[in-house]
Amino acid sequence: MKAHKIFAWLAIAIGAIYFFIPLIGTFEFSLRMRRGAYSFDAYQSVFTDAQFRATFGFSMLMALVTIVVGMLLIVPTAYWVRLRLPQMRPVVEFITLLPLVIPAIVIVFGYLRLYNSSSWIPFTGSTQGTNVLLTFSYVTLALPYMYRSVDTAMRTIDVRTLTEAAEILGAKWPTIMFRCIFPNVMSGVLSGAFITFAIVMGEFTMAALLNRPAFGPYLQLVGANKAYEPSALAVIAFAITWLSMGLIQLVSRFGKLSPSRP
Amino acid sequence: MSFLVLESIKKSFGQTQVVKDFNMSIEKGEFVSFLGPSGCGKTTVLRMIAGFESPSDGAISINGRNQNALKTNQRNIGMVFQAYALFPNMNVFDNVAFGLKVAGKSKTEIETRVKEMLTLIGLDHLADRYPYQMSGGQQQRVALARALAPKPQVLLLDEPLSALDAKIRVSLREEIREIQRRLGITTVFVTHDQEEALSISDRVVVMNAGRADQIGTPSEIYNRPTTRFVASFVGTLNIIEATVVDPAANTVKVGENTIRLRESIGALKGGDKLSIALRPEAGSLLENAKGDTSLTGQVISSHFLGSVIRTKLDVGGNQISFDMFNSPDAVLPQPGETLTLRFNAHDFLIIRD
Repeated sequence: MKAHKIFAWLAIAIGAIYFFIPLIGTFEFSLRMRRGAYSFDAYQSVFTDAQFRATFGFSMLMALVTIVVGMLLIVPTAYWVRLRLPQMRPVVEFITLLPLVIPAIVIVFGYLRLYNSSSWIPFTGSTQGTNVLLTFSYVTLALPYMYRSVDTAMRTIDVRTLTEAAEILGAKWPTIMFRCIFPNVMSGVLSGAFITFAIVMGEFTMAALLNRPAFGPYLQLVGANKAYEPSALAVIAFAITWLSMGLIQLVSRFGKLSPSRP
Repeated sequence: MSFLVLESIKKSFGQTQVVKDFNMSIEKGEFVSFLGPSGCGKTTVLRMIAGFESPSDGAISINGRNQNALKTNQRNIGMVFQAYALFPNMNVFDNVAFGLKVAGKSKTEIETRVKEMLTLIGLDHLADRYPYQMSGGQQQRVALARALAPKPQVLLLDEPLSALDAKIRVSLREEIREIQRRLGITTVFVTHDQEEALSISDRVVVMNAGRADQIGTPSEIYNRPTTRFVASFVGTLNIIEATVVDPAANTVKVGENTIRLRESIGALKGGDKLSIALRPEAGSLLENAKGDTSLTGQVISSHFLGSVIRTKLDVGGNQISFDMFNSPDAVLPQPGETLTLRFNAHDFLIIRD
C-alpha cells in the first residue's frame, strides 16, 4: 500500500474516532440507568414524560410552519432573482448568509427590541404573536441553507425557457410557478425542508429567549436536572438529524433520477 | 391585408440598437425564415412577435389586431425553442395537453386534440414517456405538437434544429414543413443555417446588423443577392474586382479578359472599379459548354471533394473558385495550367454595398 493511502486511512480513522467515541460513550451511558445492567429505562423515562411529548410536538409543529413559510418566501425569491434580477444575485446571497455570521442571540435581542409588547408591532404581546415571531426567527436561521438548496435545484433547470414556454402557451404566474417550476425544484425544496426541520428541532436560543415551550429549552432543562435522560435525549436528537440527512440523500437521488433537461 | 405585419420595428437594449427599422408583411399560411449571423437581431424580432420583448418603437399586428399592448399569454402564438423546453416533470401527453388545460378545455377535448397532435408527429405510442426518456429529435417533435395543440394563429420556430445532429436535422425540417403546409399555419422560422432557410421557406429575410438586407424567395436570395452581405452570407460566392471599360456598352475588364455585363453600368465611367460576383457552380471548363462569356487564368489549386472537383483559378489577381461535377473520366487540373472558364454573362451579379 502506498504511503499516501496509509495517511488517508489514518486521517479517516482519527476523524471517525473523534466523532464516534463520544457518541458511543453517550449511548452507552444512556443505557446504564438501571444499576448493573444495560436497559432502555432512560429512553422510557424520556418518552413517558408529558413535557417531552409537549415540547417535541410544539417544535415539530413550528418546524412544519417554518418550512411552509420559508418555502413560500424563498422559492419565488430565488425564481425571481434568477429570471428577472440576476444582477441582484450577489446582494441576495449576501443577505441569506447574514444569519450565519450574526449570532442567534443578537438576532433575537433585535427582535425583542423591535417587536416587544410596547412597540408598533407588538408580536410578543400575545402567545400567538410570539409563536409567529418564533417562526420568523426560525425562517431567518434556516435562510442560508434553504436558499442555497432551492437555488442549486433551480440551476439544474432552464428556468427562463421553461417560463417562456409556459407563458406562450397561455399560462399565468401562479400556473407557471406551481405547475412548471415548483415540481422541478422539489428535490431542492425537500432538502431545504429537512435541514430546516433539523435546525428547528434542536434550536435553543430563540425559543428560550422568547420563552416558548420548544424541544431545545427542554433538552437544556433535562440536562441540568437529570443524569441519564440527557444522554438519551442527545442520542434521540442525533437520530432526528441523521434521519433528516438520510432523507436529503434519498431526495437528492430521487431528484437525479427524475425527468432531466435537454 | 397581410396576416402578420411588422411595421418600423426598433429595439434597443440600453445604448445598443439591435433592431433598426424592421418592416415585414407575412401572408396567412406563409413560411418565412429569418436568416442571419449571430447578433443580427433575428431572434430579437421573433421574441418581439412572441411578446417576450417589447419594441422600443413600431407596431406588430396579427390579423389586423395590434399586439403591442398584449402580454405573451394573450397572443395565441405557438413557439418551439432551441432547447426544446419541455416540462421535465410532465410526460409527453401532459406536455402537449398543457396549453389546452390552461385554456380550460374539457377533458374529452384535451384527449382528442392531444391524440390528434401525437398522431401528426408520429409519436402517439410514446404518450407516457418523460422528456428524459426521449431523443433530441423526439423531444423537439413533442415541442412542436405542444406548440400546435392550442391552434395558435402564428407559429414561431427559434432555431429548433440547431441542437440536433445533421441527419435528424434534415428529416425534421422536412417534417416541420410538411406539417406547416398541411395545417396552413403562418410560420416564422429563425435560423443561421442557410441550407435550412433556403430549403423549406416560401420567403427568406436575410438580416444584417438589425436590418433586413433582402427579403425574397429562396431562389431570389441565392441567385440575385442585392447586397454584398447577402451575396457573401448565402452560399459561396467569388467576388471579383473589375475595371469599367465602356459604361455605355456595359463592358468591364478582369485581368486580360473583357466581359460584357447584362446589367447596366451606365452610371459609372471608364476606369471606375466595380465588384462583380460569380457562383462557383456557374462556370464550366468544357469546350462545348453553353455560355457567351469566358475568363482565362492560371490554376492555383484543384481538389477532389467526392461529388465535385473544386478548382481555384487566378484571373488578373482575383482568385476564382469553381466547381464541376465529378465523372469517372474527369482529370484534375494541374497548378500553373491555363484554363478557360465558360459561363453566361447573366450569371454575373453586380455587388452594391
